[in-house]
Amino acid sequence: MALLDLIAEDIIKVPLVATAKSEVIKELIQVLKDAGKIGDAAKVYEAVMNREDMGSTGLEKGIAVPHAKTDQVKTLTIAIGVAPSGVEFNAIDGALSKIFFLILAPPDQSGPHIEALADIARITRSEAFCRLLNASKSAKEVVDIFCEE
Amino acid sequence: MDGPLKKILVYIDGTEQSITAAQYAICLSKATGAELTALYVVNVRALNDLVKARIFLETEQAEYQRDLHADAERYLNHVKNLARSKGVVIASESRSGTPYMEIKNVIIEREIDLLIIGELSHIRSRRDEFFNEAERAMRNAPCSVLIVKNEDRVWDMFEQQI
Repeated sequence: MALLDLIAEDIIKVPLVATAKSEVIKELIQVLKDAGKIGDAAKVYEAVMNREDMGSTGLEKGIAVPHAKTDQVKTLTIAIGVAPSGVEFNAIDGALSKIFFLILAPPDQSGPHIEALADIARITRSEAFCRLLNASKSAKEVVDIFCEE
Repeated sequence: MDGPLKKILVYIDGTEQSITAAQYAICLSKATGAELTALYVVNVRALNDLVKARIFLETEQAEYQRDLHADAERYLNHVKNLARSKGVVIASESRSGTPYMEIKNVIIEREIDLLIIGELSHIRSRRDEFFNEAERAMRNAPCSVLIVKNEDRVWDMFEQQI
């Protein structure tokens, strides 16, 4: 499954309102709840935070990729958020995180889960791509950036 | 087995499209008498990339690797059952590595003359074209490649196969 197959305007929020790590995760989960993509939001939050407790998914260059396996999704599900001012996410380089990819997968779909994460790892190596995402003003603009990449 | 097809390889990646490809391959094997092999590749390159990118912890890598091997076994067993239901003998092989490279290796090692894969995702960006494993397999396979389309039609064909 191509990453682009998962990306639509209704799973993207620009800009994020939250200013703290736990709130960003809750906001992205709410985006998925509103889009009808998940079951129990509280259970999803617990799964994501359990993974964060093992080690932050805040990477370098302002990217964060919180993820979890959960039976509250039927298929691989993604939400994208952009916080231009940055949020403290305990990133490995100490910088504020600005672009968030929340990835949720059912426990029996590890293959697509890994491929989506690997796809994100690849595209976020491009500083130009991250700059464009960070400067985006709307969900539609984010979709367009992915399609043009 | 006098026809042009002697050995068919079908690539299974767990998608519905790859299972449809398996159904088509089973029908083709039955019609031609060609030997049929199903291949699943555990994509360890992607796992390694995730650890390098620090998206995965090493403990997660081990957990997901176990999951992927279990997936491989499950999907290959499913395809074996499909073949058995139509009286077709199928060999199966699970490998670890980069999918398109392992597909190419198996084609060479087993002297495969037809690779069958499921319908490809729509190409919506240049990145898809570069990194889609089925796309890469199609381009790199040293034998003819058949891409199976129209799930409903293949399903009917499979169901009608005695």
